[in-house]
Amino acid sequence: MDWKGYTVIYVVLFVFATAQAVVEFAGLVDSAYWAAFGLIMVLSVIKAVGVAAYYQHLRWEPRAVTYLVLGGTVAALALTGAAAYSIL
Amino acid sequence: MSQEHEHGLPPKSSVSRWFLTTNHKDIGVLYLITALFFLVFGGVLALLFRLELISPGADLLGSMGYNQAVSTHGLLMVFWFISPFAFGFANYLVPLQIGADDLAFPRLNALSYWLYLFSGILMGVSFFQGTTFAGGWTMYAPLNTPAYIPGEGLGATSVVLALIMFTAAVTLGSVNFLTTMYRMRAEGLRMRDIPIFSLSINLTVWMMLFAFAALLAALMILASDHILGTTYFQYSIDGTTMATDADNPGASLLWAHLFWFFGHPEVYIVFFPALGVMAECFQTFTGRRLVGRKWFIISMVLVALQSFVVWMHHMFLTGINLPIKTIFMATTIGISLPFDLMVFSLIYTMAKGRVRFTTPFLFSLGALILFIIGGITGVFLGAIVLDYQFRGTYWVVAHFHYVMVAGATALFGGLYYWYPKITGKMYNETLGKIQFGVYFLGFNLLYFPMFIAWETPRRVFVYPDGLQIWHSMATVGGFILGASFLLMFYNLFVSLWRGEDVGPNPWEYATSAEWAVSSPPSLENFPGVPSYATGKLEFLDDETVAERTERTPGAAAHGHAATDGGTATDGGAVTARTAVTATAMETAHEVGGEDHASHASFWPFLVSLGGFIAFLGLSGVRTGSVFYLSIAAVGSLTMFGSLVGMTREPFHAPEMAIAERWPFSEVEKMKLGMWTFLASDIVLFGAFIGSYAFVRVAYGWTAWHHDLIPAEHVTMPGLINTYLLLTSSFLVVLAMVAAERESKRGTVAALVGTFALGVGFLINKGIEWNHLFHISTETFPNGWNLSTNIASSTFYLTTGLHGAHVIIGLIICAYMTVRAWNGAYQGDDRAIEYFGLYWHFVDIVWLFLFPLFYIL
Repeated sequence: MDWKGYTVIYVVLFVFATAQAVVEFAGLVDSAYWAAFGLIMVLSVIKAVGVAAYYQHLRWEPRAVTYLVLGGTVAALALTGAAAYSIL
Repeated sequence: MSQEHEHGLPPKSSVSRWFLTTNHKDIGVLYLITALFFLVFGGVLALLFRLELISPGADLLGSMGYNQAVSTHGLLMVFWFISPFAFGFANYLVPLQIGADDLAFPRLNALSYWLYLFSGILMGVSFFQGTTFAGGWTMYAPLNTPAYIPGEGLGATSVVLALIMFTAAVTLGSVNFLTTMYRMRAEGLRMRDIPIFSLSINLTVWMMLFAFAALLAALMILASDHILGTTYFQYSIDGTTMATDADNPGASLLWAHLFWFFGHPEVYIVFFPALGVMAECFQTFTGRRLVGRKWFIISMVLVALQSFVVWMHHMFLTGINLPIKTIFMATTIGISLPFDLMVFSLIYTMAKGRVRFTTPFLFSLGALILFIIGGITGVFLGAIVLDYQFRGTYWVVAHFHYVMVAGATALFGGLYYWYPKITGKMYNETLGKIQFGVYFLGFNLLYFPMFIAWETPRRVFVYPDGLQIWHSMATVGGFILGASFLLMFYNLFVSLWRGEDVGPNPWEYATSAEWAVSSPPSLENFPGVPSYATGKLEFLDDETVAERTERTPGAAAHGHAATDGGTATDGGAVTARTAVTATAMETAHEVGGEDHASHASFWPFLVSLGGFIAFLGLSGVRTGSVFYLSIAAVGSLTMFGSLVGMTREPFHAPEMAIAERWPFSEVEKMKLGMWTFLASDIVLFGAFIGSYAFVRVAYGWTAWHHDLIPAEHVTMPGLINTYLLLTSSFLVVLAMVAAERESKRGTVAALVGTFALGVGFLINKGIEWNHLFHISTETFPNGWNLSTNIASSTFYLTTGLHGAHVIIGLIICAYMTVRAWNGAYQGDDRAIEYFGLYWHFVDIVWLFLFPLFYIL
């Protein structure tokens, strides 16, 4: 990828970060907390995938590297999800 | 042998060799000896409290002495003995079995060992800091926090720090082994074909990579509670009784979740190498390939995966809900099924072969029998209703000793099995068999009465008088078991001088690659470049390697072979004729001039020594003692200086010219090492964020923000830091582009920009923290600091861990900027790319911390 491609990704990341803050500044967190929660976390996930795919070049690496990363992510999510569910 | 031929290492007779070595076989030997020392350490503690238990009362050690002995016995045996003992074999044998000349990162391997040794020394020092940790090896909250530890509790803090150091060693080791096994297998050696011991180690390190990261998170949080005053695991004192703190209702359960998410895979981390040893010994001493080898491997893979979804069966008596208990009962009972298959595979291998009852086989068979008993009694504990009765009793103690010490039993078999390979001498077989008899008798006399006396409450020194006879028997058994080790040590020590010399393969049917080379093997391991391309082990000379490299640059041929227990096509029967497929000693020579580069390094020792001193200092800084503060500073400086020295030291460990590298053939070893480390770091941060989510759910997710966080904690500092980090990530990729284009000015400018933005991030954070520390409102009249409440603890510690990652990144960035200024990286951007992988990861973590801690 050349510098132009990296720049496009950077602009998208910047806009998404701003959008997350705008969600709060617009009062959505107070008026519709779980909708705001979902929106903000989805934006974070998109940003994270963008950084991993393009800046860390996962898109061009063998799939096994992605599986390695997903392995750690799934382990962390399993711990968080199951632990939180256990006290609901 | 000259130092030049020994890769700059002094001879083995020199003490300095053992401080300088980075060779996997030397380090394997160091691990084995050190682990045996910790076996004796933990064993003596066990004998002390067994003596105490002859009668129900603390009349020998005293109550605190008993608690310390029991707790540290468990910690020493689980952490400092069993796994490191297995990894002594792994260090020595995995490169030999897969056809590599060493591990992928030899200095990192040495660093792992020294961190392990010094972590054990720190554990030992803790006994001299008043009292050591006395809250049980599971370190349940809140007994693991300073408020509930008698006296100053510095020894307990040292134990927590020692465990962190140990975990760091394990993580480095996991990264090293995985990179080695995926980048350095001999040509033609498919993953499924590597010898079963190495395969068991492969699965073990996968589990270690993720499980120990969760433990590291738990320990770092606990250390923070000890040293910095955060309140993750604290309960408040309600008058004279313990009470759940209304501000932190999840405290105790959080520890249990984090610990057992690590703790249950740890059972298999301990047992898998033992299974590998058992499988190797069963094959060799029955003359049969493992029956159902493919299914044996599939079963191990299933257990490795499933091990991460059974941990809550350790928590059936806590307040977790019934649906989750039911799910975890099902997964727990389910995990016994693949084990059944493995057990039957071993039994059937024995039934189909001709058994030779050598010492290694006796230990392996003994381990199998003990494991069957341990496994069956464990299923009882997986059933919720039975667990209500058995939890906290000696049933649990007996069960897990039948599992864990069964694993150790197999490993002792492994010690006899590979002793001739490691030393070039044969042990005394008769004495070995006698030792097995004494060991097996002592083991069962020690642990079986515990099943009968199961109503004895665990971890305490009082029990009903009627059970005294069983405890007396157990104590006698303990001393018999201990005495058996005297026989083993005598046998192995004397055999070093009096033992018969052995050739490459003293066992008739041993077939894995370590038996194809001399005993002990040469420093380079093999007399040429190993290859299985033709279906059997061959050693290639320089010319052949050069030809194949030209033909398929960077790739391996596609042949494959069974590497243990016979060939893939012989139906499982092994003959002595085919046992060792090649020796080829006459072709002994070096491959490539680079191999003569020095492999001696003193820095791993010094880094670990610095770490030890720094951690010892940290254990006492909360007292404000000048002594502890001083040594913390000295240790930190030593460690940092040594790390810089290690970075600047020329050390060349080239990639193999031809190797089997599926599924990472396109991923250079440094990059693979970095990705593997990052996978572990994902779990570390995941566990921190998971802890935050857990305590917030326990408190009440939406009430959290209103009750516990001041209005002064606003979004803007987080948003500014997001912009700073995103821009710094962008500059790192621009530095790569500039380096590719050989623009020195562009590379330096982009790296300087990255550094400046990182510093800006930290300054912004510092300003924000300073403001929050000093706010004075009606709800928070004394500021909002680390100890104010659970919300402040999670905020400062999680973002602090992230900040520490930023600082480490900045140090690397500064170093690379200087190098770029001097002309490095032009036309070769790989180093910047690897740094970028880390830096972007730090960025990604912030992308989640920002909304969780600043918006939601």
